[in-house]
Amino acid sequence: MQKNWIIGTVLLAATLEAGGYKIPEQSLDGMALGAAHIAHTTGADSAYYNPANMAFLDPKTRYLEGALNVVHLPSNDFDGVQIFPPSTVVPASASSEREWAAFPTMQYVHSAQGRWRWGVSLAAPAGMTKRWNSSVQKTFAEKFYLLTAELNPSLAYRVSDTFAVAAGLRLLYSEGEVDSDGIVNGIRIARQMKGDTVAAGYNLALAWHPGSGVEVGVTYRSKVKLNEEGEANLYLGGVGRQYHAKVSVPVPAALNVGIAKTFDDRLTVELVWERTFWSAYKTLDFRYDTPIPPALVPIFDDPKLKDWQDSDTFRLGLTYRWDERLTLMAGYAYDETPIPARTLSYELPDSDGHIFSAGFRYRQNEHLEWGLAVLYDHKTKRTIAPGENINGIVGSFDKGGAFLTTVGFAYRF
Amino acid sequence: MRKMRMYQICFAVLATLMLAGCGGEVGSPQNEPVQGGKVVVDFPADTLRQSLIEQKTPGVDANTTVFGYKAYKIVYETEDETGALVHASGLMVVPTDNGVRPEDARKLAYMRQKGFSLVSDSHGTIFADKEAPTAVAEETLAPAGSPILLSALAGFVTLQADYIGFGASADRYHPYLLKHSSMEATVDFIHAARKFAKKNNIPLNSQLYLTGYSEGGYVSLAALQELEQEENVTFAAPMAGPYMMDQMALGVVVHDRIPIPSFIADVAYSYALSYEHNVSELLREPYASEVSTLFDGRYARPQIDARLPKVTEELFTRSAIDGVLRQDPSYWFYGALQLNSTAYWAPKTPTRFLQCLGDDVIPYAMTAGTVNVMKNLFKAPDVEAVPVEVAYTGDSNTTLRLGHVACAGPAYLVVTRMMAEIRKKTIGY
Repeated sequence: MQKNWIIGTVLLAATLEAGGYKIPEQSLDGMALGAAHIAHTTGADSAYYNPANMAFLDPKTRYLEGALNVVHLPSNDFDGVQIFPPSTVVPASASSEREWAAFPTMQYVHSAQGRWRWGVSLAAPAGMTKRWNSSVQKTFAEKFYLLTAELNPSLAYRVSDTFAVAAGLRLLYSEGEVDSDGIVNGIRIARQMKGDTVAAGYNLALAWHPGSGVEVGVTYRSKVKLNEEGEANLYLGGVGRQYHAKVSVPVPAALNVGIAKTFDDRLTVELVWERTFWSAYKTLDFRYDTPIPPALVPIFDDPKLKDWQDSDTFRLGLTYRWDERLTLMAGYAYDETPIPARTLSYELPDSDGHIFSAGFRYRQNEHLEWGLAVLYDHKTKRTIAPGENINGIVGSFDKGGAFLTTVGFAYRF
Repeated sequence: MRKMRMYQICFAVLATLMLAGCGGEVGSPQNEPVQGGKVVVDFPADTLRQSLIEQKTPGVDANTTVFGYKAYKIVYETEDETGALVHASGLMVVPTDNGVRPEDARKLAYMRQKGFSLVSDSHGTIFADKEAPTAVAEETLAPAGSPILLSALAGFVTLQADYIGFGASADRYHPYLLKHSSMEATVDFIHAARKFAKKNNIPLNSQLYLTGYSEGGYVSLAALQELEQEENVTFAAPMAGPYMMDQMALGVVVHDRIPIPSFIADVAYSYALSYEHNVSELLREPYASEVSTLFDGRYARPQIDARLPKVTEELFTRSAIDGVLRQDPSYWFYGALQLNSTAYWAPKTPTRFLQCLGDDVIPYAMTAGTVNVMKNLFKAPDVEAVPVEVAYTGDSNTTLRLGHVACAGPAYLVVTRMMAEIRKKTIGY
């Protein structure tokens, strides 16, 4: 119980922030710039955002930084009806639960060994949490969360004074929980499932610094298939039975291309295009060790179509060095949702987002910097027309989004 | 020193994160606690009614009284053919007020006040473990089979013993159509169910009805013989059972072909094990060697029939066929068949033998012969044969003829009606 509390509220309470369930903001600078942070990275968080840039950091210095990210998820408002097969229409206007969560991140870059340099990051690259207590919505998603923790060691190689490459290993631990509890055709149907898994992937990066304050970065993070495995309690009527269950969800591959230009050694402007390959998420298919009750098969066993689409995110980041001690940062991003209206569900009623962020770093002394960043993810209203959604949702989702606050430090030695 | 401290901080945080992430399991399902068993089905009446209407169940419409359906799995002690202790299991189904209409809730409250009448319904032949009543309930979590009629529609508490060899005793062979263990497994379950009801405040009156179809008909008649020594059984209605095992075997071996070889092969297998003879004395190879696998609970009847020959002389040894044809009681197998027949006595209990005239597995003559022997040889006071097609249609001249499988549904409808009428006259509801 205590362990669950720790996981759920202090350590890696991953949260929906970007489109789908990917979390691109993993450091103080990353948060302040809204993850427009691929080409121009100057600290330990290069290990996560672009490990090739590690090759261009001061070779004799070791870099360490950490951050604590506090997340508030306002409730999603739904105004509409739910259609249960074959044609039962139920009023379903409701709001999801508000969420508070926190997760730490950490990066370290070791001093260079000739042209080589290694670093490591600890991140929460994906996650989501959504709870509904309203009768209709909890039938589908009383609680839905996915937590991930990624340990990502990487190695950079400086090919020339202007060009470097890097590769890394993605080691993910993930934990998921799916609860639903409702009345369908007069009978209680409920599911409680928890599972976890360890999975691996890789990441590649390159950095090109052609001069004149221009920096170019390209990173690719591979898809990681999370084969969550655990126990599931399924209830029909007043009786539940436990099954060993498996379900697979992808952390999608992502390609980031960034270009940055620094003016007068003070202002850096960075543009990032991110392509996230969400089309890997075709279905959500729970599998059980023994046959489940036939009455529950259509609800809990048959694969659920997801059919997500690859999505684009466009990011703009501004970094302004006010003086030797203070650096100001701000960002904006337009974030496409990967979820088509056809398969949208209460567990993740996502929509396109406008992300605004800002923050600062303050150099306390030659070794220590600290700072604060805030981010607001504004989700646009999304309306599902009759007949458009295979899950029977008709109506509008509004609000939701996220507020994130990050306090971080950076240490050089 | 300072460098060391930073390393320590870094790795301590990493380690904490990784370790804390491990674990987090869902607990056991939170089911209603009961003493001496467990709830395996708890289904509301309104959903069940809707389902029965959709399945076009005869006599069920929006105005039909339907009770909620709660089933318990009870593990109890009984004994096998040798008298050795066995932990067996059975299903007890109780009508509830879950999801009932107000008028049906009042009806149920009155029934509870008067106590529920108990029906022991012995199930027909099964081969796979997953077909046992408790296994079906645990897999589907939903109402199934005759307890829907008997409990959810008619308001009886229904008992279905899994029999030895299934459910909690699935690691044993099933003593198929062997009288002692069939009877013990059923009678001991009735006793265990009464104790369970008392512990869990399920009100029972003193009435006990016995029924069962096919193998269950045989078992219910065996149980009746034992129970009559202990108590007054209200009414018995064995249905389509092979009561005269000796005559049934004779009927098989006089024919060249066996339409469904699994039944008689299982008789040979279980009799050989029980009487400590080699299976190969009765069945030819390779079948004698294969039946222990075929009847180990993994396979259902269609799979087993596909592996067995339908020609009598290919399945049975010459000596077995001749021994049965001679009708020689000194031949161990024929003698055992006679001993395990349940037809040769006189029930005191009002007993109705239901059977379809068109039964293609257990001929109607089996029931007619049993009634004839009981009435005329043993002077049974109140036994009758009831042709199901006639009782079901209410037409004594009906031309309807139903085979063994198709007959089961109408037979249960008829027997439920008969028992409900008796209960109405005696208990008042």
